[in-house]
Amino acid sequence: MTLHKTASPLRRGLPIVALCFVTMVAAVLAAPFIGSTPIRAREVFSPTVAFADNVDAQIFFIARLPRALAAALVGGALAAAGVVFQGLLRNPLATPYTLGVSAGAALGAMLAITFGASWPVVGSVELASLTGALVAVFVVYLLATARQQGLSSTVLLLAGVTLNAFFSALILFVQYASDYAQIFRALRWLMGDLDVVSYRPILSALPLVAIAFAGFAFLARPLNLLALGADAAGTRGVDIERAQRIAFLGGSLATGAAVSVGGPIGFVGIIVPHLVRLVVGADHRLVLPASTFFGAAFLVVCDMIARTVIAPIELPVGVVTAVIGGPFFLWLLLGKR
Amino acid sequence: MLLEAADLVFAYPGGPQILEGVSFGVADGALVGVLGPNGSGKTTLLHLIARSLRPTSGHVRLGGADVSSLPRRLLARRLAVVPQETVLAFDYSVLEIVLMGRYPHLGVFEVEGPGDLSAAMTALESTGTAQLADRPFRTLSGGEKQRVMIASALAQLDDSAVGTTTDDAAPLLLLDEPTASLDLRYQLEVASLLRRLHDRRHVTILLTTHDLRFAASVCTRVILLSKGHVIAEGPPTEVLTPSRVGELYEIDPEMASGVISAEIRGWT
Amino acid sequence: MKLVSRICLVASLVVLGVGPTGTSGTTGTPGPWNELALAIFPLKMTGIRFLGPDVPVVPDVPVGPTSAVYQRSSPRRIISIIPAVTEMLFAMGAGEQVVGVSSYDRYPAAVASRERVGALLDPNVERIFALKPDLVVVYGTQQELIARLDRAGVPTFGYQHAGLADITITIRRLGQRVGRSQEAERLAAQIERNIEEIRQRVSGRPRPRTALLFDRESGTLRGMYASAGVGFMHDMLEVAGGADAFADVKRQSLQLSAEMLLARAPEVIVEIQSSEGWNAEKIERERTVWQTLTSVPAVRTGRIHILADDRLSIPGPRVADAIRLLARVLHPAAFGAQ
Repeated sequence: MTLHKTASPLRRGLPIVALCFVTMVAAVLAAPFIGSTPIRAREVFSPTVAFADNVDAQIFFIARLPRALAAALVGGALAAAGVVFQGLLRNPLATPYTLGVSAGAALGAMLAITFGASWPVVGSVELASLTGALVAVFVVYLLATARQQGLSSTVLLLAGVTLNAFFSALILFVQYASDYAQIFRALRWLMGDLDVVSYRPILSALPLVAIAFAGFAFLARPLNLLALGADAAGTRGVDIERAQRIAFLGGSLATGAAVSVGGPIGFVGIIVPHLVRLVVGADHRLVLPASTFFGAAFLVVCDMIARTVIAPIELPVGVVTAVIGGPFFLWLLLGKR
Repeated sequence: MLLEAADLVFAYPGGPQILEGVSFGVADGALVGVLGPNGSGKTTLLHLIARSLRPTSGHVRLGGADVSSLPRRLLARRLAVVPQETVLAFDYSVLEIVLMGRYPHLGVFEVEGPGDLSAAMTALESTGTAQLADRPFRTLSGGEKQRVMIASALAQLDDSAVGTTTDDAAPLLLLDEPTASLDLRYQLEVASLLRRLHDRRHVTILLTTHDLRFAASVCTRVILLSKGHVIAEGPPTEVLTPSRVGELYEIDPEMASGVISAEIRGWT
Repeated sequence: MKLVSRICLVASLVVLGVGPTGTSGTTGTPGPWNELALAIFPLKMTGIRFLGPDVPVVPDVPVGPTSAVYQRSSPRRIISIIPAVTEMLFAMGAGEQVVGVSSYDRYPAAVASRERVGALLDPNVERIFALKPDLVVVYGTQQELIARLDRAGVPTFGYQHAGLADITITIRRLGQRVGRSQEAERLAAQIERNIEEIRQRVSGRPRPRTALLFDRESGTLRGMYASAGVGFMHDMLEVAGGADAFADVKRQSLQLSAEMLLARAPEVIVEIQSSEGWNAEKIERERTVWQTLTSVPAVRTGRIHILADDRLSIPGPRVADAIRLLARVLHPAAFGAQ
């Protein structure tokens, strides 16, 4: 039997990537119109009412649009970072937080929450969490490369898990020096919050995410080959060390930027890549863009649910992603292999 | 000589020497088996040839050029490795796995074209796995997996799509213990595939194995490796004498003689 | 893996919050800000059980069968780990009987000379026993501490924050409990008169729709929490002549989104902050943060008040002063002000 293939299997997945992109755009455009307060499009874009007096426009442009954009940025970055870390560690259960990025960010945020008022050097929570994330990345990188050339995924995992534990201990120490209000704020930060109210956090995270994504663009095919194993990828001409370095630094940068905007929102980085793989297969040239777009759409919708489902009370968005993601995660573990 | 290994020495930093000066050559079109017991340094030798490891001293030359001086992608177009066992991190289809062999032929953002697809399909057909193209790799049997990985390696070495003939250096296929994890039926399957590739397509093959019977049945030459040294080299019928096999596996020559007559002579 | 570590992280925070940690009770930044947290934050999330955030709780939860035995004689060695109750004890003249206070007590000045025995999350049981108390004022949710004190035969006085009216109820019950019934009655009546006086003063005036915030991340409009339709802060706001913008939400607290503020369009925004670290310069700087939300009437008219005063967050005997502070910014004319 002879089969004649005329098109790469890649092309079959392209419509789905396009669909994910359309879904993301639709979600970002629709989300600002949906919320606990009804607003009218005619009022929002009314040329006769000054923006300063236009409540509908302010709800649209100050309260909801930055939120939708932040959700898209954070969701896309976390989903893409999840794909990259899973590929780098050759472990489908890896998440953007496996290598200690979120623990570093949490420690930074916690320091800012606890000492920020009395010691302004620590700066804003956003800046502090980003700094913490980058410190964690740096330490893990040093640990993983100290003994050998290249990044062994085992050593990376070990370094990441160790750092996670160490930073968690430091967090507890900081917590012990905090009072109730600060402990509560810290806990609330851990649950994620996308009500950014201004475009500034988005704009400051955007360059970092852009740098990370530029790196990811080169990674799609090397990640495919890494799935065969590092040696096998190397003998097929992949520069393993460089691919691993880009994956680790890019994934960490995207994660750190995302966490600085919305806190360590869970599950996006793991369930989105898995869902996408169920549909498009394993090719990272499809999985990476499709996850980015779908992750963005997913978090926009989750945030919409978080702010509307029991309005006027808001659920933390991390709770929504966990409620959706937890059962799905179990289903993946138990049902699918 | 297509491949020359010159006085290869290797030790992991702080570890004992695994190879203690190994030299041999592989002629164009040969099917050579590196035979030795577990721990003799076979797999390390393969890693050194494929540049997955750097030798402590000595050289590996492919078509006259030192492999350490060849650009990564050029080396990958001339030399492909089939690992002992492949466990995928994600669920790729057979065709996707074979197309991964085209990596060194494509630019960074280039998508596989018709030439790459035809190289993949040719490789699948010559390994008898064309009908598996759309199957998930994970669902294949051990023998099928091994044949698909050989197809992926063949697709990697296929330069016909680019139109440049490889007169400067013929491609070399390396296999690490191709039958170690297979039962008899699949061993025979892989053995006949390798012979077919050698006889009909003149692919140069270097494989490692600890299986006397397999080496004797498929290889045109064998290299006996023991404790980091080459102890003999030549056609299997000449090299595999009871005394050498006894030395190689540290067994009584009498017993080795029995093994050889029962296992090897019967095959060849 | 991350999932697990994340759960562990949160769980360990919770564990930290709950477990009696035992070592020196001087953790944390001082300030009754913590008192406020106790009352307002949905602390269920930190592992501290509330009887129910939506239901006003009647104070003096009866605890322990042994309590009755001791009630005959008035206690002479009292420990209070609730700043509001410490203030009540001192205000009714029982300050001499107080031998131990919480690590967050700052008022009256005399508490400086009292032993510190930890606080809500980290009561130092050893130190409490060492002081040989014959009455310990505990928060109603400190079940573990209550059980240990009960086993040792130390009587306890359970207390939980609730509405404004519960403050004077607590004062009267506490007075009976510590043998200061008359003084407590006089104190309670005075507080009620003062409250009534403010109520009269602002009555008949238009009640501005007011958002009463008690937390916000510095420099941004993120992490905002407001008092909602239940609890002493809500009651204080109503007495001071404001209309709570979130009165329909029957909870003690509400996390505010920017959308909520824009939609509810409060005419006055009052932020309650700690008296520590909030100087005039910082208050001025933080007021400008609000300029983003120009469609909110309070922003347009500049009626944004940051009150850095601990009295506003302690439901104790100084509550009438606190209400007067609120009333002054809500109805400056009624107080003949600037």
